Amino acid sequence: MAAAAASAPPAGARATSRPAPSLRFRRRPRPPPPRFRQRPRPSATAVMAAGLCRAFGALLLSAAPLRPRFSVPPLFFPPSGVAGGVLAAACRGLGGSVPRCTTNPLWKCRVKYTVRPVGMKKTGGRDHTGRIRVRGIGGGHKRRYRMIDFQRLRYEEGAPPEPFTEKVIHVRYDPCRSADIALVAGGSRKRWIIATENMQPGDIIKNSSHIGRMAVLANEGDAYPLGALPIGTLICNLESHPGKGAQYIRAAGTCGVLLRKVNGTAIVQLPSKRHMQVLETCVATVGRVSNVDHNKRVIGKAGRNRWLGKRPHTGLWHRKGGWAGRKIKPLPPMKSYVNLPRVTAQE
Amino acid sequence: VFQGVRQAQWLTKTKLVEGLPPSVLSIVDDPAHQLEDYEERVKRVISHARLWDTTEAIPKREHYCPVLFEDLIHLCRLMSVKYPSLTKRMLARNYKIAATWERESILLQVRGLNGILMNSVAPIPPVASKEEILATEEHVLETFYPISPTIDLQEVNVYQELNSTGFRDGYPYSHPHTLFFLESANIRPNRFRPEQLRAKMLMFAFGNALAKAKVLYGNDPKALEQPIVVQSVGTDGQLFQFMVFQLNTTDLVSGDGIKNLVWIDSDQKLYEKAQCISEVKKRVVTKPAGIYGFQPDTFKKFLALYLHGTV
Repeated sequence: MAAAAASAPPAGARATSRPAPSLRFRRRPRPPPPRFRQRPRPSATAVMAAGLCRAFGALLLSAAPLRPRFSVPPLFFPPSGVAGGVLAAACRGLGGSVPRCTTNPLWKCRVKYTVRPVGMKKTGGRDHTGRIRVRGIGGGHKRRYRMIDFQRLRYEEGAPPEPFTEKVIHVRYDPCRSADIALVAGGSRKRWIIATENMQPGDIIKNSSHIGRMAVLANEGDAYPLGALPIGTLICNLESHPGKGAQYIRAAGTCGVLLRKVNGTAIVQLPSKRHMQVLETCVATVGRVSNVDHNKRVIGKAGRNRWLGKRPHTGLWHRKGGWAGRKIKPLPPMKSYVNLPRVTAQE
Repeated sequence: VFQGVRQAQWLTKTKLVEGLPPSVLSIVDDPAHQLEDYEERVKRVISHARLWDTTEAIPKREHYCPVLFEDLIHLCRLMSVKYPSLTKRMLARNYKIAATWERESILLQVRGLNGILMNSVAPIPPVASKEEILATEEHVLETFYPISPTIDLQEVNVYQELNSTGFRDGYPYSHPHTLFFLESANIRPNRFRPEQLRAKMLMFAFGNALAKAKVLYGNDPKALEQPIVVQSVGTDGQLFQFMVFQLNTTDLVSGDGIKNLVWIDSDQKLYEKAQCISEVKKRVVTKPAGIYGFQPDTFKKFLALYLHGTV
């Protein structure tokens, strides 16, 4: 049956072709991973030794996928075509078949921060093995990445840990995200940050880590810890742990609401109406994220989606998909990023 | 050079005056200091640099910018028929300048290859009078909080506080007269914008003047009785920036006291457009090849700066 299913669609069949009704729930054969270019082959013994090391490395790789970091990753060289096949046959006895690595070191290897845009490589939805991990990504206009500083409270080298101000130089469109970014300069350094709604060039924004007894009347664009803000303020660029860097509420036009402050923690409502509890020393910026009318834009044609790098969906209608219709569900429980000491019964 | 000239002013403790100083303007207006039919000659010079001097269709900026500069200097040197002391000038390329100074507890230095320097035997007499120099004492240098004035400057470990003009002692042409900066990179991001070019001109003119002052008067910071004047011209082939810098004091640690003076005349176009290939629309020639929008005043100012010290 599986062999019949494999031979029924022609080689290189795309997702849009409809299989026969009896084979509807049969998994379609996966396209083969990309072929490698022929490389000059080293000597046999060196190849065997290298192949053994590489097989172990590949096994480790498949166990724990490489998380992208801003550091120099080790470069993996693929085994050459024919010799690689021989090696794969030899190594199959060691650890089973394993997807081979690709010549695709992650482009994120820059350690030093810079304001200049950095060239980036598109992945096309493929992971480190070369197979598609996420569907529907590929093509689109070339983009250069501007390194955004999500940690607002980053002090300069040699600067005291005090509240400091910065000036907004320029607000511009960023091709890598839906929000606009702003170039701010303070002291002797410049950096990119996510711009808030009414940020204009020439504004002065304040970054502070001080929590006073009274709540601060915050202006839009300033960054304060949650404990210093009055409840009910709209915030964005929230971090879950102090000093981690903003990971929440960064999309265009989004904002969270500070609901209440309890002991040393604060509870924020995210744009998905989920409640989140974080320590009150976590820093967030005040205001809504820029580019507020992003959700009101009309794409207009299929080509514009292709320019954004989105490949078309499958046209197959899934009867029990469950995507259509209004959904009424209870709110998920509040997510807490605070490790409260556990109160045990013995105490 | 983030804020441009304002940042350079703070770093060199300088007061800005718009336009060229009156002594240079008087040379501009004086008809005795002009070449005969100079307009025709300058137009021919521009056509040579921008249109004729190449084997391809359009010469690139790397090629036409130095050619234009050489031809303009040649035209200026023709004036030495009338003023023989103009022959006591020498052009120097690829020389290294080094000047160090301290500015409110920040150590700054200017190093390296700058532009093309024209040296002369005699220094330029001071442009501003004593009253103007004393009047700069009340002027307050503008700061741009929260941006510190050292933004965009390269941080370097200094092992030796070096001050040298780039020439050995005993060189007959020892006084810096004019600095020329040619922005001749082909791609626009590699060129300096006019604002940044003016700031670069100011910093290097200051560096040259300070190195000369330290050679003449020693390393102690003090006010100079005989101020040193250095001129500077920057261009990218079409726009010219003229600058006259006068060093009044080497006491740069504090922000008070006498300031240095700079006169800047910015964004002078020599010509509007140089059409290499005639523009043809629908089989009809709309714009024949040639130079359009020639401004003679720019060359007059160039010549005036050249003649300044000796006339």
